[in-house]
Amino acid sequence: MKAWISSVGAPTALTCAAFTLVTAVFFISIGQPAIKTIADMMVFAVGDSYSLSETLVKTIPIMMCALATAIPGRLGLISVGAEGQLHVGAIFGTAVMLVLPESFGLLGLCLVLVAAAIGGTLFGFIPGVLRVRLGINETITTLVMNYIGVLFVSALVYGPWRDPANQGWPATKSFPEDLILPFFFGTRVHAGLVIAIGIAVLLHLQFHRGTWSRQIKVLSGNRKVGETFGLNYAFTALLLMCLGGAVAGLAGIFEASAIQGRLQPGLSAGFGLTGFLVAWLSRHEPLMIVPVSFLVAGLISAGDALQLFAKIPAASSTILQGLLFATALAVPGLIKRYRGRYGN
Amino acid sequence: MTETPARAAPFASLLGICKSFAATCAVDDVSIDIYEGQVLALLGENGAGKSTLMKLLYGVHEPDRGKIIVDGPGENPISSPLDAMRLGIGMVFQNFALIPALSVRENLLLAWPDTPVVIKKIKPQNDPVLKKLYEIAPQIDPFQKVGSLSVGEQQLVELCKILNLSTRLVILDEPTSVLTPAEAERLHGFVRSLAENGVGVVFITHKFSDVKACADRIAIMRRGQLIEDVEAQSIDHDGLVRAVMGTDATSRADPPGPPKSDQPRLQIRGLSAHSRNEVLEDINLNIASGEIFAIAGVSGNGQSLLAEVVAGVHQLDDGDVLLDGTSIARHASAQIMKPHVAYIPEAPRINGCVEDLDLGLNLALRDLSTVGTKPLANVRAELEKFDVRPPDPAKKAGDLSGGNLQKLVIARELADYGKAVLAVYPTMGLDIEATKAVYARIFSMAAAGAAVLWISEELDDMLESAHTIAVMRSGHIVEQFKNSHHLTRQKIGALMTGAHDA
Repeated sequence: MKAWISSVGAPTALTCAAFTLVTAVFFISIGQPAIKTIADMMVFAVGDSYSLSETLVKTIPIMMCALATAIPGRLGLISVGAEGQLHVGAIFGTAVMLVLPESFGLLGLCLVLVAAAIGGTLFGFIPGVLRVRLGINETITTLVMNYIGVLFVSALVYGPWRDPANQGWPATKSFPEDLILPFFFGTRVHAGLVIAIGIAVLLHLQFHRGTWSRQIKVLSGNRKVGETFGLNYAFTALLLMCLGGAVAGLAGIFEASAIQGRLQPGLSAGFGLTGFLVAWLSRHEPLMIVPVSFLVAGLISAGDALQLFAKIPAASSTILQGLLFATALAVPGLIKRYRGRYGN
Repeated sequence: MTETPARAAPFASLLGICKSFAATCAVDDVSIDIYEGQVLALLGENGAGKSTLMKLLYGVHEPDRGKIIVDGPGENPISSPLDAMRLGIGMVFQNFALIPALSVRENLLLAWPDTPVVIKKIKPQNDPVLKKLYEIAPQIDPFQKVGSLSVGEQQLVELCKILNLSTRLVILDEPTSVLTPAEAERLHGFVRSLAENGVGVVFITHKFSDVKACADRIAIMRRGQLIEDVEAQSIDHDGLVRAVMGTDATSRADPPGPPKSDQPRLQIRGLSAHSRNEVLEDINLNIASGEIFAIAGVSGNGQSLLAEVVAGVHQLDDGDVLLDGTSIARHASAQIMKPHVAYIPEAPRINGCVEDLDLGLNLALRDLSTVGTKPLANVRAELEKFDVRPPDPAKKAGDLSGGNLQKLVIARELADYGKAVLAVYPTMGLDIEATKAVYARIFSMAAAGAAVLWISEELDDMLESAHTIAVMRSGHIVEQFKNSHHLTRQKIGALMTGAHDA
C-alpha cells in the first residue's frame, strides 16, 4: 500500500475513483439509480460519434480559456479574465467580418483571426499594465473587466450591429462560409481543435525548454532575485498577460463564427470560469490542460444530455463539475499529507 | 560551570537512532541521554545531523530504527510535535513560527493551552499568558506587532511561547546564528537561568563561543554519528576543534597583503537612498583594487540598504556608484540591471536564491539574462568545490539548510574572479571550515585585484583581515580607519552603538 501510494499515477487514479464514488452518492441522494446514471453519462459523453463530437466542440473553448489562464499563471499571476477576453476577441473578429466585402477568401479568415487575437490581447494588456505600472491586483481587474466584455457584446448586438434581417432577434448577420474555420467530417468540430492543441504543445515547449522558460521560473519563484540578475519582470508579466488574452480572444471568434454562426448574447457557457478551474487543476501545465479540458467538457455535455433524457435537474451538471474540482483538489492534497507523514 | 549532580534518570533517552533521507544517512546509530536542569550543547558542522537528531526527538520525523524513551520506563511514543509538547518538550527552530501581523500577546495566546474562548482585556501585569514574558523579556511591549520586533526579540517571544507550555526540555536550533553579539550574550545568560530552574536545554550550535558560555555537557556529531559526549570542563578548545573537524585545523585564513595601488576601483559618491525602514545620507567611500574595506555596524543601521544600492538592486535617490568609472547603480526603479559585482546578500534564502528551483539553475542565475546560455555543465563539481551538502544538482534550493544555502550563493558569486566583491555577513551560519574557505576565497579575489566591500558584525575577523574599517550608524559613515593594531574591538563597538557620544 505504502509503495503503491507513492507511485506517480496514484493521485490521478485515486481522484477518478473518489470522483466516481461521490458522483454515485450524489445520484443516490437525488433518487436516481447510481450505476445506471453513471453508465448513461459515459455514453452521453463519448458513447457514439455524435456525443464524442459534441464533447470535442465544448473542449475547444474550455481548453483555450484554460491556456489563457495558465500563461500568466506560469509567472504567478492570477488572471480570471478569460471570459471577458473571449468576448472582446469575438467582437474584434466580428468587426472585421462586418467591414470585409463578400468572399474575401483565406486572407479574410486570417484577418478575422488576427483581429480576434488583438482584441483579446487588448483585454490582457490593460490589467497587465495596471499591474506592472501601478501595482493593481490583476485578479480584481480581470474579474471586473469580464463584465465589460460580456455586456459590450450585448450592447453591440442590441444596438448598432443588430442585423435588420433578424426581425428583432439581437444578433449580427451570419458569418459567410469562407470566414469560418473548416469542420471535420460533417460534425461541428472545427479546426480550432487543432489550433488549440498546437498552442498547448508550443506553450509546453516554451515553458520547459530554453532560456525564456528559466527566466519565467526564476521571476515567478523570486521576483527580487530575478531582477537582481537583470531580468525584466514588468515586460515578462505584460507579455504573458497579452499572450493569454490573445488565446482567449481566438476562442471567442471560434465560438461566434464556427459554433453560433454570428455574434449574439450567450456566446459563452461560462467557459472562462471553467477554463480557469481546469488550468488550476492542471497546475498550469499546458499538456495536462488538454486531457483535463476534454474530461470536463465530457462531464458538461453528459450533464446536458441527462437533463434532457433522464429527467435529472438542470443544476446537476454544475454540481458534478463542482464535485470534480473539489475531489481533484482534495485527493492529491490528502495523498501528499499521507506521504509526508511517512517521510517519503 | 556548576558540577552536574548525579541524576536519578534521564528525562529522555535516544537509543540506537538511525534516520535516512533518500540515499543520505542523516543520523547513524546515535544513543544519547538528556537530563533536566542541564545544558547540553550539540556541536557539529553544517549537515552533521544535529538538527535532524533533535527533530526526531521532537516528532517532526520518525526514526527508521532505534527507540526514544521519554520520562521513565512507561511507553511514551512521540509521533508528532503534539506528542512531544504534551510530554514537555519544546523546540525553537531557526525559522520562527510567529505571525508578524499579530501582537506579541496574540501570538502567545495562539499557542497557549489555557486560552479562554473569549479573550478579556486585563491589565498586562495580571495576565497569566504574559507572566513568562515579563520574567524573561520585560523590555518587550506585549501589544507591539511581532513584525516590528528585532530577530533577537522574536526569538525571545518564541521561547516564551514554549515556556508557557510548562516545558521540561527546550531545544534551541542554532539560536545565536541570527543574533548580534550582545543579544547572544543575553541568550546565554538566559539559558543558564533556565537550567538552574530545572529545565533541560539542548543547544544546537557550531559556535564554540556558545559552548564556552553556557554548556554543562557537550555532545559532538560528525557525519551523522555521535563522536563525543563529555562534561564541558573535561575538554578544551583544541580538543573541541579536533573532535568537530576530525583534524587539527588552524582557525583562520591568511589575510591578504596590502593593496598595490591607491587608484579607487569601486567608488560611492554622495550616495543617498531610502527604503521602508532604512535611510542612507551622503555616503562617500573609495575602495581600491585589492583593498578589503569592512563596514561594521549594528544591523539595521543602513548596511543592507547600502549593499542593495551598490548591487544595483535598490534604487538610489542621489549620488552614484562607480565601478572603474562606470555607473553601476539603479537610477530608476524600472531600469534593467545586469549584475556587475559578485554579491553575497543578507538573508540568502530571500535575496540570493529561488527556493522552488533546483541547485543547477540557482548556480546559473548570473547568466540568466543572456539569451542562449545553457545550464552549467559540471554543476556537481561546482557544488562539491564549495562543499554544498548534498551536492545534488536536482535538489531544490529550499531544501538546503541555512549554512548550505549560504555556500550555494557563495559558489555562484565567487566562482569567477571579478572586479568587485560585495559580501554581506558572508559567513552567516557557516562552520569553521567553511568560514575559512570563504574568507580564503574572498582574500584571493582581493589579491587578484578585486575591490572588496565587506559588511559584517564579526569584529574580530574584520580587525584581523580588513585593510580599512568604517563604522556605520543611522545611515551615516561615522568614522573610517586604516586598520592597525591600535584599533580595538572596544573602540569600534563604542562607535557602533554611539556610546562615545555620551
